[in-house]
Amino acid sequence: MLRFIGHRLLIAIPTILLISVFVFLLQKLLPGDPVLALAGEDRNPEMLAFLREKYHLNDPIYVQYFNWIWNALQGDLGISLRTNQPVTTLIAQKLPVTIQLAVMALFFAVIIGIPAGILSAYKKGTWIDWVANIVALSGLSIPNFWLGIMMILLVSVNLGWLPASGYQPFTDDPLQSLKTMMMPAFVLGTGLAATLMRHTRSAMLGVLQSDYVRTARAKGLGERSVVVKHALRNALVPVVTVVTLLFGELLAGAVLTEQIFTIPGFGKLVVDAVFNRDYAVVQGIVLCTAIAFILMNILSDALYRVLNPKMSDQ
Amino acid sequence: MTEAPLLDVAGLSIRIDGTARDLVSDLSFTLNKGETLCIVGESGCGKSLTALALMGLLATPPLRVTGGTARFRGDDLLTLPPAQMRKLRGDRIGMIFQEPMTSLNPALKIGDQIAEAVRRHTELSEADARAHALEMLRRVRIPAPETRLDVYPHNLSGGMRQRVMIAIALANTPDLVLADEPTTALDVTIQAQVLELMRNLQRDTGTAMILITHDLGVVAEMADHVAVMYAGQMVETGPVAAIFDDPQHPYTIGLMSSMPGLDGGSDRLVTIPGVVPPARDMPGGCRFAARCPFADAQCAQVPPTTSAAGNTSHRVACWKAPLEQQEDAA
Ligand SMILES: Nc1ncnc2c1ncn2[C@@H]1O[C@H](COP(=O)(O)OP(=O)(O)OP(=O)(O)O)[C@@H](O)[C@H]1O
Ligand code: SF4
Ligand SMILES: [Mg+2]
Repeated sequence: MLRFIGHRLLIAIPTILLISVFVFLLQKLLPGDPVLALAGEDRNPEMLAFLREKYHLNDPIYVQYFNWIWNALQGDLGISLRTNQPVTTLIAQKLPVTIQLAVMALFFAVIIGIPAGILSAYKKGTWIDWVANIVALSGLSIPNFWLGIMMILLVSVNLGWLPASGYQPFTDDPLQSLKTMMMPAFVLGTGLAATLMRHTRSAMLGVLQSDYVRTARAKGLGERSVVVKHALRNALVPVVTVVTLLFGELLAGAVLTEQIFTIPGFGKLVVDAVFNRDYAVVQGIVLCTAIAFILMNILSDALYRVLNPKMSDQ
Repeated sequence: MTEAPLLDVAGLSIRIDGTARDLVSDLSFTLNKGETLCIVGESGCGKSLTALALMGLLATPPLRVTGGTARFRGDDLLTLPPAQMRKLRGDRIGMIFQEPMTSLNPALKIGDQIAEAVRRHTELSEADARAHALEMLRRVRIPAPETRLDVYPHNLSGGMRQRVMIAIALANTPDLVLADEPTTALDVTIQAQVLELMRNLQRDTGTAMILITHDLGVVAEMADHVAVMYAGQMVETGPVAAIFDDPQHPYTIGLMSSMPGLDGGSDRLVTIPGVVPPARDMPGGCRFAARCPFADAQCAQVPPTTSAAGNTSHRVACWKAPLEQQEDAA
């Protein structure tokens, strides 16, 4: 297993380098001049020239790239043109917020989606299956921003149960932190729950028909044991892959959700950086996200191997 | 006939919900302690459905038992509440399926899959159940059993997996084993080994067995009694010697004559001209009429009743039985 992970990490290096080139070039090709954005109203030529020099914007593009990647390898992603803070600091500040949101959303998605999928497969064709499918379809088709606003109106404004916005770092006040993050995580989690439910359902349907489930019943096992120990374990193999691949959807959803609930996370950092043409920040974020994606893929394959004994021998 | 039979099936009928024709129709047979009944018949004649119905494992819906009783140690298997049926399954009745490659859970170790069956029906501790699983692997003659406890099914060949299935089915020394074509999926040499193993284990434990097969060679080797099924019905049943030496039903006669001799006999039952009528289009009279050389107008109109042939438990469902006179006359 360790060898497998090591091997995958090694292969990931050229991928990440390629992505970094792509990100860097894309940024350079986009319209808009960061120096103009930076200088604001004060557009005297000397000032602009000074800024260009300061940020090495006059160097040939490959020199700029190599400088950037060389520093990045040493953990320096440059300075935000906007705030003058190191990009790594910004990311380190915002990332935990988004990770907390994502983990809580995934938690909601899993505790809603997987049991609902199991139940609707097990009760296939009954009213339970129908209800689960209709709810899932609604979950997929209701936009997050609408659900978010409705929940704010209901839960915060009318009922006053949870705060409508804001953020409390988990380390400062865990309970308050969970409370503020609860609603956004739920909103973000519901769409994923629907996807998960449908995958779980179809995997379970296949497995429940299998010969080994019949064997389990032939042993006289109770239905709980048949479903959980014999069916679910096999059905979860593809579902786990789906969960890890949902990571992308989760991140995209997080950007939007953070806007709705004014959470100062990664999503807000991205949006601000793009609007401000804060190159260094955008590049840093995209690079980090790409690395995270690759790690999630490796994790997904590793989990698949753990759950699937046939794979782990090889 | 001092003792009541271990299993007494009477009038078993199975159909698909919402249809009018039975897939299995009015099936009756008995099985004594320690004996082997072979059920033979062409593909699709309802052999597996019969076994699954006795196990309470029919895929309901759409399949449903619509009539009959199956007395087993004082209970009716067909109407027993699910919780009580679960207590019998895997304990008093074991089942071996046709497909060794897919019948074991790919995600669980062999030892655990056997031990689980033991723990479900006994008070044994985890360690004791594991020891028992090891003992079962030994008894089904799996080489190096200690090392096999912790392997997954994909590490074993088909023959080895079927041995594991046998170990599971016999783990609690059941009174009855249902074996649905246990060797059909295996190579010929492996088939012989597995059958011999089953026969030895059966002799040691006194377990009764219903063995479903296509293979008359297997019947000759294993059976005490034979039940011949055609299109969901029992057409003839009796002691193995009577069925082989004195078959009465035209279908059985056809089967026997398609067999090239007992020693080499492993031919599939496919040599009678014609095909089985589809379940949704079953004739009103004898279901074999369209293929039967002796059929007449009565056969096509009225389903034959079952009559005794000879003074044993040999019974046949045919208007023309006993057939000797007909053949002599012809
Ligand atoms: N789940 C099901 N739904 C509908 N029809 C079924 C189902 N299972 C079996 N049948 C039908 O019932 C009939 C009997 O099937 P069964 O599996 O008992 O045959 P079999 O005698 O075991 O044949 P084989 O030798 O091929 O195993 C077949 O015509 C089959 O098409
Ligand atoms: S009842 Fe008639 S058709 Fe049916 S097997 Fe006997 S002779 Fe043939
Ligand atoms: Mg069958």
